[in-house]
Amino acid sequence: MNSSMATAGSALLEVRHMTRRFAGLVAVSDISFALAAGEILGLIGPNGAGKTTVISLISGTLAPSEGEVLFQGEPINRVPAYRRARLGIGRTFQIMRPFPGLSVLDNVAVGALFGHGGGHTKLKEAREQARASLDFVGLGRAADQRADELGGPSRKRLELAKALAMQPKVLLCDEVMAGLNHVEIEEVIDVIRKVRAQGISVLVIEHVIKAIKSLSDRLLVMHHGEKIAEGTPDAVLADPAVIQAYLGKKRA
Amino acid sequence: MDLLAQILVNGTLLGGLYAVMALGLALVWGVLNIVNLAHGAFIMLGAYASWYLYTDLHVDPFMGLPITALLMFALGYGLQRGLLNLVVRAPMFNTLLITFGLEVVLTYLAQLAFSADFRTINPPYAGSSLLFGPVVVPVVRLAAFGVAIVLTIGMWLFLLHTRLGRAIRATAQNLVAARLYGVEPRHLYATTFALGIALAGAAGGLYGTVSQINPYIGASLTAKSFAIAIIGGLDNPLGVIVGGLFLGIVESLTTLYIGPTFADVASFGILVLVLIVRPSGLLGKTA
Amino acid sequence: MKALWGALIIVAIALLAALPWFGSDVLVQFGINALLLAVLAQGWNIIGGYAGYASFGNSVFYGLGSYGVAIAMVQWELPFGVGMVFGVLLAVAFALLLGLPVLRLRGHYFAIATLALSQVMAAIVSNVGIAGQNIGLVLPPLNNDRLFYELALGLLVIATLTIWWLTRSRFGFGLIAIRENEEGAAVMGVNTTLYKVLAFALSGVFSALAGGIHAYWITFLDPESAFDISLNVKMIIMAVFGGAGTVLGPIVGALSLSAISEVLASEVTSIAGLFFGLVIVAAVALMPRGLADMLRRFRSSGWRYFAENIRAHRL
Repeated sequence: MNSSMATAGSALLEVRHMTRRFAGLVAVSDISFALAAGEILGLIGPNGAGKTTVISLISGTLAPSEGEVLFQGEPINRVPAYRRARLGIGRTFQIMRPFPGLSVLDNVAVGALFGHGGGHTKLKEAREQARASLDFVGLGRAADQRADELGGPSRKRLELAKALAMQPKVLLCDEVMAGLNHVEIEEVIDVIRKVRAQGISVLVIEHVIKAIKSLSDRLLVMHHGEKIAEGTPDAVLADPAVIQAYLGKKRA
Repeated sequence: MDLLAQILVNGTLLGGLYAVMALGLALVWGVLNIVNLAHGAFIMLGAYASWYLYTDLHVDPFMGLPITALLMFALGYGLQRGLLNLVVRAPMFNTLLITFGLEVVLTYLAQLAFSADFRTINPPYAGSSLLFGPVVVPVVRLAAFGVAIVLTIGMWLFLLHTRLGRAIRATAQNLVAARLYGVEPRHLYATTFALGIALAGAAGGLYGTVSQINPYIGASLTAKSFAIAIIGGLDNPLGVIVGGLFLGIVESLTTLYIGPTFADVASFGILVLVLIVRPSGLLGKTA
Repeated sequence: MKALWGALIIVAIALLAALPWFGSDVLVQFGINALLLAVLAQGWNIIGGYAGYASFGNSVFYGLGSYGVAIAMVQWELPFGVGMVFGVLLAVAFALLLGLPVLRLRGHYFAIATLALSQVMAAIVSNVGIAGQNIGLVLPPLNNDRLFYELALGLLVIATLTIWWLTRSRFGFGLIAIRENEEGAAVMGVNTTLYKVLAFALSGVFSALAGGIHAYWITFLDPESAFDISLNVKMIIMAVFGGAGTVLGPIVGALSLSAISEVLASEVTSIAGLFFGLVIVAAVALMPRGLADMLRRFRSSGWRYFAENIRAHRL
């Protein structure tokens, strides 16, 4: 593992000319961007733009057809998913899949057992870490419930807690606000800001434009697998190409 | 050289029978995601049905196939609607177990009803053969091959071109789609399963004309059918022809050139290789 | 509360251990069979119950263990202990070599691949000279049922302790994570490939040891019985009936189903198998999560438990 700190201005996570094809369909096409340390980068785009595919490519679930992913300056194309997790890349899933047979606490403990640097080796310490992560996202009281008994909004938080228990350096959030009401969205925004305050960089995929506008330092827009805009939220959201991509779609 | 030709023909004829044996299994598996461990037992029951039709009612085994198929269709429909329906939305593993239990029950019932004796269906033309140059082709085997191919292609056409067939294929993708075709889902499920069982029964009727039957043949026929279905690939109904022919020829060649005890090693060894290298089968689409 | 459970278990083990001294010969023989089946069920529990990979290949490990002991004792005249080690080594080698490609398959494809492997192994072994080919091997006789009983019991205790260790270890958590959501486990840092192969090998070790004890006990071995696939199905049914993924479930399943089968066999010989099949069908439809789950939920739901299971799973 590369232990040298990224020099000021160099990116923590970088994606270069990444392309991914699926049997004739191009899901992601020539995407390049960088995520700096301590930054919150928002990723938006209409459905089917390829956003979740990008996250899967970074987390290692999928391999790119072309291009590369660099973490802390080192290319990680050949690194399998579980090792990327141990390097410090954490992600949440859009379609939430908790471990149903386990309690909420133990769900998160898995992250603590196997996360950054290989995680804890003792179950007891892992569970303590898990408790801390659950408190952090506000799910502390649900620790001993069965994971499949949680309601929708709580499941989103569980996903976050699981990823955070890994003590990642980069957190990839896939639509953690979908289906939440205004109050719940504000709470999630708070949690993500707290995450950044801990020194973790965040890449957030969202459809709730208002939320992501207030949350992100920078915004990236994808459409049909390509990057069509990148910059500050205000600049990007005023970009005519972006508006056209969303034509006819409701702005949250 | 003549021997090789004979072996290849034997293998091909066997392959046709194998294809129709696996057809019902592939249909039910590909469409309903039901892995039917009792499939071979239904082949066995079909064989017995044909046997009784011939021995007691003097119905020619080939003419009697539709009757056998109809009986088995009814049995399959009832079983799916009454029993298998109960585990449709449970984890796949439950279907494996329940069909295994069904296999045990059917085998024992068969043993009680039919006793453990070996039987064959011996129509008067059983001994005659045709000669194609140096190659001897028993009439019965040729007829079985012909019927098998007709059934398989018929099923393929049915799935592609009839409304019910398309509804069945749509269900494989999406249960809601079935409703769009105006067919009630439970009826559709049961009908599809019943079709698979009817095919198994017909295969059994054919099997009885070329081989001995007893209540215990179910398990190994199930295993063989699995191998054929997977090697051919579940995506395409014609895959069973490829799988069946492939296996039939490989087994015949292995028996001749290496030894009869190695036929199983060959079939299942190839199955393992296919699963590891190309799980979608020889005709399947790669993911 | 925990202490009470612990005490109960120790008493149970002591009682079981004492059985050969006040039970009939027939009972002891039944005991050996039932205990070995329980070991097999527990072994399967590791790969099937905890890792979630329904293996139909454990009968291969059983067969390798049997043949390991038989070949070592008959062909090379080595003692039983060495034979057992040899059997275990064969099993582990198999798990490592063939586990790797086969464990990449999901769901029922994995099950079928292992099923096919068991057929292949049976056919191969029946052609190998050193294994006595089709005829099999005859081992030196040892007329000491008590010893075999205690060996089987001891093995079961070790297997169960291993499972118990799984539930509180990092390795076990990794397996459960793999079972519940393999992709999720991978992105959380679990080395899924390594863990699956280890689980497969561990489960194989217990199956092999059970096979070795069984071979020496009945002093005879042939490929068909050693690699018998119905044995694999039995261990799965017993584990699932009692409760796969639990510590005691497979033991309960194995002992109860063995007892039922034995009673049926002596009362109504010809339809014993039939009843067994009906029990399986009914159990899968009515209590798919096994006895352990049923006993737990019955207290709160009563008879509705069965209706709920059906309603949840039917179309």
